[in-house]
Amino acid sequence: MPEIPDIDLLMPGLVIVLTLLIVLIFDMIDAISKKVLGWMTIVGAGIALWVSIKMFLGNEVGTEFSGMFEVDSYSLFFNIIFLVSTILVALISISYLGRDDKKQGPYYLLVLLATLGMMLMAAGNELIIIFLGLELMSLSLYVLAGYFRESPASSEAGMKYLLLGAFASAFFLYGIALIYGAAGTTSIPRIAEKLTAESQSPLLLAGTFLLIVGFGFKVAIVPFHQWAPDVYEGAPTTIAAFISAGPKAAGFAAFIRIFMEALPNIQTEWGGVVVLLAMLTMTVGNIIAIAQTNIKRMLAYSSIAHAGYVLIGLAAANSDGKSSAMLYLLIYCVMNIGAFGAVIMARTADGESLTISDYAGLGFRKPLLGGFLTLMLLSLAGFPPTAGFIGKFYIFKSAVQAAVQPDVVNTWLVSLVVVGAINTAISAFYYLRVVVTMYMREPEEELEFNPYPSTLVIGLVLAAIGVLLIGILPSLLVNPAQNAVL
Amino acid sequence: MLLSIVIFLPLLGVIAIALLRNMGASAIKGIALVVSLLTFLISIGLYTWFDADKISTTGFQTNELLYQQKKWVDDLGISYHIGIDGISLWLVLLTTFLTPICILAAWNSVEKGLSGFMMSLLALETGMLGVFCALDLFLFFVFWEAMLIPMYFLIGIWGGERRIYATIKFVLYTMAGSALMLVGILALYFQNGENGFDLTTLLAQTATEGFAFQHSYLLFLAFFIAFAIKVPLFPFHTWLPDAHVEAPTVGSVILAGVLLKMGTYGIVRFCLPLFPQAAADATPWIVPLAVIGIIYGALVAMVQPDLKKLVAYSSVSHLGFVVLGLFSQSDAGIQGSVLQMINHGLSTGALFLLVGMIYERRHSRMIVDFGGLAKKMPVFATIFLIVTLSSIGLPGLNGFVGEFKILLGSFVGNAFSKWYVVFATTGVILAAVYMLWMYQRVMFGTPDKTNEALPDLKPREIAVLLPILLFIVWIGVYPNTFLKPMKVSVSAVAEKVKVDNDSNTPAVGQIIIDGETQDVVPEVETADLQLIKEEAQTK
Repeated sequence: MPEIPDIDLLMPGLVIVLTLLIVLIFDMIDAISKKVLGWMTIVGAGIALWVSIKMFLGNEVGTEFSGMFEVDSYSLFFNIIFLVSTILVALISISYLGRDDKKQGPYYLLVLLATLGMMLMAAGNELIIIFLGLELMSLSLYVLAGYFRESPASSEAGMKYLLLGAFASAFFLYGIALIYGAAGTTSIPRIAEKLTAESQSPLLLAGTFLLIVGFGFKVAIVPFHQWAPDVYEGAPTTIAAFISAGPKAAGFAAFIRIFMEALPNIQTEWGGVVVLLAMLTMTVGNIIAIAQTNIKRMLAYSSIAHAGYVLIGLAAANSDGKSSAMLYLLIYCVMNIGAFGAVIMARTADGESLTISDYAGLGFRKPLLGGFLTLMLLSLAGFPPTAGFIGKFYIFKSAVQAAVQPDVVNTWLVSLVVVGAINTAISAFYYLRVVVTMYMREPEEELEFNPYPSTLVIGLVLAAIGVLLIGILPSLLVNPAQNAVL
Repeated sequence: MLLSIVIFLPLLGVIAIALLRNMGASAIKGIALVVSLLTFLISIGLYTWFDADKISTTGFQTNELLYQQKKWVDDLGISYHIGIDGISLWLVLLTTFLTPICILAAWNSVEKGLSGFMMSLLALETGMLGVFCALDLFLFFVFWEAMLIPMYFLIGIWGGERRIYATIKFVLYTMAGSALMLVGILALYFQNGENGFDLTTLLAQTATEGFAFQHSYLLFLAFFIAFAIKVPLFPFHTWLPDAHVEAPTVGSVILAGVLLKMGTYGIVRFCLPLFPQAAADATPWIVPLAVIGIIYGALVAMVQPDLKKLVAYSSVSHLGFVVLGLFSQSDAGIQGSVLQMINHGLSTGALFLLVGMIYERRHSRMIVDFGGLAKKMPVFATIFLIVTLSSIGLPGLNGFVGEFKILLGSFVGNAFSKWYVVFATTGVILAAVYMLWMYQRVMFGTPDKTNEALPDLKPREIAVLLPILLFIVWIGVYPNTFLKPMKVSVSAVAEKVKVDNDSNTPAVGQIIIDGETQDVVPEVETADLQLIKEEAQTK
């Protein structure tokens, strides 16, 4: 007799499924303006967000489907990250998609499907469920990346993303298979029980490293990052913003859960690898970002570098590391979507302004746009009093805590923090270069910018409020994040 | 409460200007000036209520007006904790004093983005004041970093030709240092648990004899490098000439006047009292660097063809003295350093203002372009002379008192510095060489055609400079006004650093240090001052 699932616990996901169906139905009615679909997505995601927050605050947790699906504070917190990203992305998409009605329906459908996939990944307590979520999310994103069929760059982005993503999924699946071979189960808590520090079979280690490779592709960690710049550059800007935010957070949600809950006993084995990958990811991402002239590519490399910062939290491998990684991901989603939103805002009649030199003189001619982009870039660079600083601060804090014990100093972690700190300075260089261009250089030609669409402004204002509010009153967000991992 | 008002009033001004920026240039300038003047007037209240007796065990004022603590980030024990002692009091006053002067000095020289300029200046003021008042390391770091942003815009937007290179270099240098400091702050926090960001808690810990934080040498280094970059101590000084030369006049004034002091302030507030043993052991490495800075800065200043660069390099030299004094492990040396921070703020600030004024007239800063200005611009020449002499360290003006105390303190303070003082003293002579030589080339001789037509200072410009002159003379004649409030605070720092170095301290030093230290400063006769003034006027 199968147990009857507790509907309450599945509520956020169900709301998304329902929204999805409504969007699907309304898309078939030709009589209405398809702009409404975007608003439906926002409202649906908003309700799901509200439900998630309520469950989070009310601590309504439990497991479903014979323990395969775990609704805990951790997954609820990630739900909040995903839904915030979805809402912000929908807000910046409404004006971006233009008047072409045919394009709107499937777009929002796929965004919602991807969101559902992410929610599955964060709540999956079972490697197969995580894989299902991962595939649901990835398949939707492949289509979205190639969504502008008439643009060769977009098609190329979709194709590249599909090929490399499928490749990564195969690695991931193979890793699951090997771990199953070693532990005899795919359930995360049971794997943790079965595996002790002594169980270091080659099978298990191979499985672990295959998982790292798989996740490495999904969240764009060096050296598995090559797809990211091409996809970000080619994909519709809104989707680039989306890929860099929610899916990255989802990848990390599963990454952190598997490694810290299923494989904590062999942390000595993977800890060093994560430290190395984090150093490599931050440094390579930041240094290559310096050389970029296209702002979307620059943001792509910056997003790679930011994945490196999140890895510091995983490398710290304590509960503080976990909560600071979650905090960082939420902050990062808001500020990164904000930055992409500002890029969308800088549209001229011939399309988007993507070359950094196009932004010359923008700061004075378009004070609102200049202000938004500056705020987001300063936050990405980690200047106080913005949210980016708080995020970095907690990440470094968790690593220093793990590194500096009363009697020993973990040299690896200390050098990781130092590398991270130096990287912050490196990253300031290219973020500030955009600000320099906006305020300190004269434009070569006068570009006519389109008027700002109101939905975009709403999205950016929300992001800006979020960035400043968290920056000035971090407790609002930090305390919930820490409660989520207790 | 009063302190918070002083810190955040300029920020209110920023908001006011942002809202009213369409009201026209004079309204913007008016708001900025009124706000900054008001801030200065209120900050005088800090001096009025400052009471050397009402101090907490860690040395900060306990008067509620000058002290505030509010919870901010609960889970880390971070609080909005501000307060002042005898050291920060003067730096706060220096900041509030220089800002209205800067606004007045920039009255007509900003061509584009006036509202942005004034907003940056006021935001910068809040940042700097916050740095000097923060008693929580997290809060300190927030202000320390946030302050970079307005300065970055000031140099980058309103600067000279190579402004972008200069501003990015400035930000990156500072950020590289402060990123490491952040790691240091965190490492310090974890040794102390709940209130690990609170400076007073940390200081209370170090009060125990023989106490040292774990890894205190690394921590000292993490803090010290950040501050040394800011000072800038040789060999971290290369950003300074670029930033100074490219910054607009007002930016240079603030940079030299206050920003550099944040580095030396950081040393005396954090490095010395928190890690006394490490600081004492690092002295043999730092003192030579300071002395190299003194001599190298002076030598490089001597050969500069550009007035502004000359003043910039002279800062490297002067700040070398300050660092020398800070590591003298003596009351006199540290007092001298703190006083010299203010002196340098006043005289170098004034020098940059003067260079800016002549640049506005002649659109050149090259020394060769000038000559004979004294004939055409007597008021300018007189003021320039007084400031030049103050920068050289002529007795009777402010520079002398500070440098004298630094050299004296270093000579008696620890056995190590003694021999370096001999070299450092040559810096005073070199200062006379490069400053007077510059003065001679700019002011004397016959003016050529372009210089014939230069008008003398306008009343507004005189109003900008007079308050600075007042303090230049005041400190020179009666430094006790300034030394007295800082005495207790400085002794507390010096006491900590001295603890482990008693064996090295020569007996002769002990006598002087245990005696009334201010007696060491010779009181300059008013007659001497009269002489100087007359000399200046005859020019």
